Amino acid sequence: MRKAVIIPAAIAVLVVAAFATANLYRVPTLHFPFDVERPAEVGTVEYIVEGVRCRGTSMGFVKMTAEVPGMISVTTYARNNSAIVEYDPAITNPDRIREAFEALVERDGVRYQYFRALSQRDLD
Amino acid sequence: MRVLRTLVQIAFLAGTVVLMARGIAGLTPNTCEAYCPFGGVAALLPLARYGQYTCRLTELNVSLMVSLFVLTIATKKSFCSWVCPFGTVSEWLSRAGRKVFGRSFHLPDRGDRWAMNLRYVVLVLVLLLTWTVWKGDLGFRAYDPFYILFTWGGHGTAAFSFYILFAILAAAVLVPFFWCRYLCPLGAVMDPLSRYGGLRVRRNPEACTECGECDRVCPHQIPVSREIEVTARNCTNCLDCVSECPESGALELSCYGK
Ligand code: SF4
Ligand code: SF4
Repeated sequence: MRKAVIIPAAIAVLVVAAFATANLYRVPTLHFPFDVERPAEVGTVEYIVEGVRCRGTSMGFVKMTAEVPGMISVTTYARNNSAIVEYDPAITNPDRIREAFEALVERDGVRYQYFRALSQRDLD
Repeated sequence: MRVLRTLVQIAFLAGTVVLMARGIAGLTPNTCEAYCPFGGVAALLPLARYGQYTCRLTELNVSLMVSLFVLTIATKKSFCSWVCPFGTVSEWLSRAGRKVFGRSFHLPDRGDRWAMNLRYVVLVLVLLLTWTVWKGDLGFRAYDPFYILFTWGGHGTAAFSFYILFAILAAAVLVPFFWCRYLCPLGAVMDPLSRYGGLRVRRNPEACTECGECDRVCPHQIPVSREIEVTARNCTNCLDCVSECPESGALELSCYGK
């Protein structure tokens, strides 16, 4: 019955393989382009937002982002709470976007409370 | 062999319980859902159609689904009897039931075969409802005993969810693997792959005395003593039949016929 060890061995290998391959590719939870003309130059910034955990919370984040001037698109990745924002650098910059987010969370804590914990990483 | 399997089962169950405890304590937003291969199945259509995930599903669900398919092709439904924490709970409950009532209960053969197809109905319903009525939300959570138990009524469940959970657990005490056998949609997905699974129990008619012990212990009512090779889609390679067979060499595992 030595062949029985094939089963736990296969399970171990395949679990490790699943975790390893899951880090090799990234598919968005939500990609939302705003209805604006795309400027010649586009800035990109990544926010790590604890509250971005699924498609529903991603849509909530898009709603909040829509209230900030200069937004071009939002792409979220729930697995690592990541939201990648494209913006028009002629209108805004990552720090101003972040300040706008924080002001919106303060103003509308009920709707946007999930997005309180937020850190930023410049991708440009 | 049984010890090895029990150890593997305990490891996966313990991991799931720790995750549940951390979730209840607010230490992690993740639930067992993040590690469920069925999530990969639910994610397939929105991924193919929109290139985006649905609800809380991620790459990990898809990768675990692929791993599960490979495991099933290689070792039949060993996931059910070695890995799945709900399968483990069901198994322990049915063992307890056998101790209390002195036997387990089974549906009559025809009813049993018919009821086993309910899994396909559940699978189609879950996928259809997820993509239509539930608008991409994992509405199945409210009805999924695995999620209800291991999140202890987490997000998306309701009071009625616990009635469903307790009914299914009570049924498992009487009918071995009630959920797995008749209702589990993941089991339905694995069925066609399991039939061709490479690692199978093989009976050696020369050594076999046809005592029928293997048939009696098989929790999935597979008539092992009438087979040369167990190809049944339901075989989970729990190896109970092999452990209990009194004749040395009558039952063994074969790997693609070898
Ligand atoms: S338990 Fe072993 S000896 Fe008895 S019928 Fe099954 S294979 Fe044959
Ligand atoms: S007892 Fe034997 S035939 Fe039945 S499920 Fe387990 S390994 Fe398969």
